[in-house]
Amino acid sequence: MRAEAKEYNYDWMMGSILEAAAKLPAGSRKETELTLRYIPHFKYALGTLLDTGPPGVQFLQMLSDYYKNIITAHEQGKKIVATTFCSTPVIFYAMGLVPLTFEVLTAVGAMVWKRGMFEYMDYGCEVGMPETSCSAQRGSLGAYLAGLGENIDLIVCDSPGVCDTNATAFAFAAEYLDKPFFQLNFPSTLGDERSQSYHVEDFKAMIGFLEKQTGEKFAFDRLEAYLKEIEIQDAITADLEDMLLLVPTPIPPIYTLMIYAGRFCFAGHPAYTRVLEQLRDEARRRMAAGIPGLRAGVEKLRVLMCYIDHYTVDMNFYNYLETRGIANTGSILTRNFRDSNTYCQSLEGSCYGIDTSTPEAMLETVAQMNARLPMVRSIRGPYDQHGMWFDECLALARLYNVDCIIYNGTSGCRNTWGMIKPFARDIENQGIPVHIMYDDAFDDRVESWEASRERLDEFFTVRGLL
Amino acid sequence: MQVFHDVAGRIESRPLLDWKAQGKPIVGYTCSYLPAEVFHAAGILPVRLRGIETDGMDIGDVYFGPFICSFPKCLLQLVGKGKYRFLDGAVITPGCDSMRRLDECWRKAGKDYEGVLPGFYYYFDVPHKAEGHGLQWFVAEIEYLIAEVEDYFGVEITDEKLRASIAEYNKGRRLLEAVESLRTAESPVISGADAFSATIAGAIMPRGEFTEQMAAWLEALEEKPPIDNVQKRVMLIGSISDDLELMRLIESQSGALVVSENLCFGARREGRPVDESGDPVKALADHYLGASICPRMYGKYKQRRALIEQKIEGANVDGVIMQNIRFCDLHGAENALFERDLEALGIPCLRIEREYGPMIDRGRLKLRINAFLERIGRRKRNAG
Repeated sequence: MRAEAKEYNYDWMMGSILEAAAKLPAGSRKETELTLRYIPHFKYALGTLLDTGPPGVQFLQMLSDYYKNIITAHEQGKKIVATTFCSTPVIFYAMGLVPLTFEVLTAVGAMVWKRGMFEYMDYGCEVGMPETSCSAQRGSLGAYLAGLGENIDLIVCDSPGVCDTNATAFAFAAEYLDKPFFQLNFPSTLGDERSQSYHVEDFKAMIGFLEKQTGEKFAFDRLEAYLKEIEIQDAITADLEDMLLLVPTPIPPIYTLMIYAGRFCFAGHPAYTRVLEQLRDEARRRMAAGIPGLRAGVEKLRVLMCYIDHYTVDMNFYNYLETRGIANTGSILTRNFRDSNTYCQSLEGSCYGIDTSTPEAMLETVAQMNARLPMVRSIRGPYDQHGMWFDECLALARLYNVDCIIYNGTSGCRNTWGMIKPFARDIENQGIPVHIMYDDAFDDRVESWEASRERLDEFFTVRGLL
Repeated sequence: MQVFHDVAGRIESRPLLDWKAQGKPIVGYTCSYLPAEVFHAAGILPVRLRGIETDGMDIGDVYFGPFICSFPKCLLQLVGKGKYRFLDGAVITPGCDSMRRLDECWRKAGKDYEGVLPGFYYYFDVPHKAEGHGLQWFVAEIEYLIAEVEDYFGVEITDEKLRASIAEYNKGRRLLEAVESLRTAESPVISGADAFSATIAGAIMPRGEFTEQMAAWLEALEEKPPIDNVQKRVMLIGSISDDLELMRLIESQSGALVVSENLCFGARREGRPVDESGDPVKALADHYLGASICPRMYGKYKQRRALIEQKIEGANVDGVIMQNIRFCDLHGAENALFERDLEALGIPCLRIEREYGPMIDRGRLKLRINAFLERIGRRKRNAG
């Protein structure tokens, strides 16, 4: 790592950038334009968010708050728990902890910085992480391994059984930084009584671990408040999902990012509710006015991202969809799998409900909610098993009436690279074209965005989609 | 001894073909978490699946993506080529992400290549926790497996049969322990390649024959003089390896002997004897999951390091070679931690990344191993 990169506390640096960005819209238009001239490397990503209007501004504020929580955690007497995007932060908030999600922070860095997270990713390798490990964790984790971030107090991951490379990153971090470690793990089935029970037992063990680390008894009244806020958030998300069904949809491609990033950062927290309200209100306004979600003004195509989006510099991926007239119906990260959603009707056992009537019911609720987060939900077992990836993608593709499915991931993802080819073949056999992107969502060095864009264009052309 | 090398050196070995010629079933399995005693108790030969003899990747690459460990790719390649047509069954275990995806890839290949998918094809789930509900889950998995085997093969697996199989396997385990003590001794009488071929053979041969051969070999070893000129006592650890050539490559260097290993095809797979009293299913679960020391069991690094240190001390190891197959993050990341901690204790370590299968990078490995052994030699000279 370059010496100058070690000069700055990474969390403080990113937090400061986001705080300043969130304040920008409060100024005049002239001030905003002038500021953008002074931040040549961030201006495209920032511009993309600001162009969405109030939702983008609220989203920036939420990210700024997320960083502020991390930076000020220890001043407030709170412990920081490093965790993963497929683990709900609700339980940590209810325990009075401050969650720090490596993948979210890597994605933010990838979008904000000219060089992305490359130096921090490479630092992970310098201290022993394999260069083939997943870039999603390795980016921001590199900063913490280098001692450039806030001091992490404990580490919790919930990817064993689903993603080795994710779980390995957390286990490695726990040993390297000498921090207490806990893992939730997942059986290969979902929705059956046996696995449901396993989730609850695992969650109880995790609460025991958190109580030991914090020295505090778990407060169910706090959890209840968070779950009630999630009720509100889930209802708004269901509204957005319904609007995504419309052709043309009033939902811009980047909304899905804001929906899931907010959930990963602040599920059950009013900061996320405010973002969702802005997204819903803006989408409703567009719908009422007959304005499509795409800046191109015409929806030429609808895609389903069967895995994750592309996050490297400048938010190029979302802008690409905008300019080509392609509606983004979401990725594996987008949906919350709350049982009130339309898509749950054809995915029996894949969804969860909320019950706050008793402490046991709340525990069951949060365990089942957690088990239905991205990855841990539908790539835990054989992909063609009931309710797993194939069923889910097919159901969503049909419901949202998509023209094609696109796979995008990271080169560290053994789980999906281990079966994406037969998966794609099975989906194609259902009459839906599939494109496999050979890039890395967080690391442009694997394949440049320009090359990825060319291949996407080629796919759409060759398959007669555009 | 020769029989072990023959069995470890090829897939269709004589004992296996003899078994098949008798019309008795064979079931292949992919991971050391599978309690082979279940199949033994059913009169079925459990055979650990291997990717040796792979001479291309034209089938493996069709189903697996590019960023995947070469071990399951080699297995699938051999499956597609019909090398495993002798199997009556196969059990896939989620040892790691790459291996668990062999489940779908093999099934899909079974649609493209006639006759390569065995009639009994089973996914055996293994949790990542060895205590409490994790252990309970595993006990239930063994019970389901027993029920499926009974149903498909028309056999009955009673507790008595399981106990008898555990006892038979334990005989082999005790003999392997005796071999381990001979190889780790101050004046070893066996090479690492010989010991490794025996442990590999234990996962393939009919167990009764294996036990007999082991007993005979141990008897013969009593007369054997110590190996000359052992100057560098090496330990080999890391990703899955059943590659005798790698062991031979290390031992072909002047004065080097692999006196210890921690590989899932090696002595670690057998472990200590299984408890022969009480509930046999619980005993198997305790052994295969509870005593697990594989990096897929997250959060147990310190226990694994303690075991490595114990082995280093027990075998008076001069240096540790840590290998990982490319894309094996489990061992790749853990090897880095081992290197950090063992070097801090003054134990020289070499970390190498390689591919599974034919030793296409033999020259590179030889060069690095040579340099490492030179380092050990210089260190010993300076100390002496």
